[in-house]
Amino acid sequence: MQFAPNGLTTSTPSGKVNPNLAALGGPALTKRIPCWPYADPAGRHVVSYDEYVRTGGYQGLRKALSMKPDAVTEEVKKSVLRGRGGAGFPCGLKWTFLPKLAVDEQGNEQDPGQRYLAINADESEPGTFKDRLLMDFDPHLVLEGIAIACYACRIKTAFIFIRGEYHHQAHVLEEAIKEAYANGVFGPKGLLGGAATGRGGTFAVDCHVHRGAGAYICGEETALLEGLEGKRGWPRIKPPFPAIKGLFGKPTIINNVETVAHLPSIIEQGAEWFTKQGVVSSLGGNNQPSHGTKLMGVSGHVNRPGVFECELGIPLRTLVEELCGGIRGGRKFKGAIAGGISMGVLGPDQYDAPMDFDIGRKFGVLGLGTACPTVFDDQTDMVSVARNITRFFKHESCGQCTPCREGSGWLYQIMCRIEQGEARTKDLDLALEIATSMGSMPGTTICGLADGNNWAVRTIMQKYRSEFEAKVKPTFVPVKVSVGAR
Amino acid sequence: MAWITKPSATTKVEKRPEPYLTASMKDELTRTYLPRYETKHAALLPALHMIQHEYGWVPQQAMLEVAEFLSLPPSEVIDTASFYEEYWLKPKGKHLISVCRSIACEFCGHEAITQAVKDRLGIDVGETTDDGMFTLIELECLGSCGTAPVALMNEELLECLTPQAVVKAIDEIYAGGGKKHSHGH
Ligand SMILES: Cc1cc2nc3c(=O)[nH]c(=O)nc-3n(C[C@H](O)[C@H](O)[C@H](O)COP(=O)(O)O)c2cc1C
Ligand code: SF4
Ligand code: FES
Repeated sequence: MQFAPNGLTTSTPSGKVNPNLAALGGPALTKRIPCWPYADPAGRHVVSYDEYVRTGGYQGLRKALSMKPDAVTEEVKKSVLRGRGGAGFPCGLKWTFLPKLAVDEQGNEQDPGQRYLAINADESEPGTFKDRLLMDFDPHLVLEGIAIACYACRIKTAFIFIRGEYHHQAHVLEEAIKEAYANGVFGPKGLLGGAATGRGGTFAVDCHVHRGAGAYICGEETALLEGLEGKRGWPRIKPPFPAIKGLFGKPTIINNVETVAHLPSIIEQGAEWFTKQGVVSSLGGNNQPSHGTKLMGVSGHVNRPGVFECELGIPLRTLVEELCGGIRGGRKFKGAIAGGISMGVLGPDQYDAPMDFDIGRKFGVLGLGTACPTVFDDQTDMVSVARNITRFFKHESCGQCTPCREGSGWLYQIMCRIEQGEARTKDLDLALEIATSMGSMPGTTICGLADGNNWAVRTIMQKYRSEFEAKVKPTFVPVKVSVGAR
Repeated sequence: MAWITKPSATTKVEKRPEPYLTASMKDELTRTYLPRYETKHAALLPALHMIQHEYGWVPQQAMLEVAEFLSLPPSEVIDTASFYEEYWLKPKGKHLISVCRSIACEFCGHEAITQAVKDRLGIDVGETTDDGMFTLIELECLGSCGTAPVALMNEELLECLTPQAVVKAIDEIYAGGGKKHSHGH
């Protein structure tokens, strides 16, 4: 098999296109990035400002600037765009948590003062490599999304917090930002050189890249803010929430790269276009729908790993069998890490799980996460999977909260012991008990890292219990003792 | 961590007369980075990145210079520098090989990659070769799971690795006399 840079096998695409997506104009995020099965990934390159504009770029921003900021927020709210960074919180709703602006007698909004947008490009969750695709090849899509978000929220400064190991991507973004400044997208003259016709007249935005330095925890939104302030990445206790008191104590919105990359097409084509994609919640009631497409990065034991733009709701089986060419070596599906290891695993009987935001409640995992499943085949040893994952959390715990700092270390030790055949049956219950008692959801820790550890350990141990039992010695070891009497 | 001091009272802290934080670095910080942030403290990561990039590690003297330049207590600088893995507080080899050990790479054979490097260089994970050319470490997910197994050779990502390919990458650096800039793209 031939591999192209960034992942995909080079062979001609089947031309098989999701008919619903095709009717709606094709994929939105990967319009300019050749992706299987729409086009051959071998044809990828960095899309420059000129090419971006030539292919319809910055039209979403142009349209946004002809609307009132609140109308832009309203449109995003109507689309029910849910955050693509892991938690799935509705983006438009998050924006409305910013302090309301004071209005003078003429009904003009007062200057909001300094507020910040922090774009989360930390992407360090094992199994996740989707934001990278956008930063690698279509950086202006991200920048246009940033500009729209800033305009809607009256934010004057945006920082892209990118993980330290993404050297190349940071460079691509920096070059793209230079181009954007040179062409008046950002800078003192106002967005798109002052094209805003909204009541505020021109609205100027600055955008910078801020490089992290190798700490998974900086993906947590308040740790990210600490990293931006030059401090160690220790998550903050909430409340206050960042929308009220965030970066440098100012109101701050944190959004994932992919979340903002959706904004240009939502504004240009309307919320209704967006809600025609994806699925409504099958749980009924007030449950939020899963609209739009999502970048899904599939890795592990599949024939054609890579990032695919799919409508939310695509069954995992379809994703793996049709887009990824099935499991390697003709082997059987044993399970998948749901969407980054923090989400836990889908078991062998959950291959048909639809990839949407309901997945957590329907399939016993924490959630959709980053929608980047890591698939494993029937020869995989689940104890070593648990060992690998607990090592990760032990390594990445920031150490602030005792249950997380100590618990993650104990869990790793227990998994090592089980793997080496040294553990006893009671260690299984001990591991489950430690896992269950840590996390922000039982309310014992500051951030969600411990929840991720909990869900990963619990789902693996529960869904593959027999494999763990087979490796432990019974707790009671009968010992023959001679007491010297008959 | 802030409480890490020199190992014993008799250990000498390495010092050199010329500063690590050069005039041109100060200039870049002043012109490019400081105006971006509300506090000087926020320019700390960019400053440490400059030092790390230039020297391959962050010496104590450099931290003191950065502290003075950003008007921070040295303990704050040490606190931040010691928290982030990318900053090396001890010297390392000229070239850094970081093999990904997270789950997708483990599924796709990261162990053979690490082993190939160990065999080629005769060092263990965490060690540096005697000639000071290479340091080998293992890191968590590098965000390229679709092309697992992967490793970083300095700042460049090597994808879809095989043991042969990683050995070849090492050989190429040796063949080039190790002159290839160790930190650049
Ligand atoms: C331990 C931890 C790590 C996280 N890592 C990331 C990350 O790498 N990238 C990301 O976008 N969100 C990450 N998140 C989620 C963010 O805290 C936050 O919810 C998200 O960036 C918000 O953006 P969104 O609403 O657009 O999804 C992480 C959360 C936790 C608890
Ligand atoms: S839960 Fe863990 S990672 Fe999160 S703040 Fe507490 S110790 Fe740090
Ligand atoms: S697991 Fe190795 S790059 Fe993600």
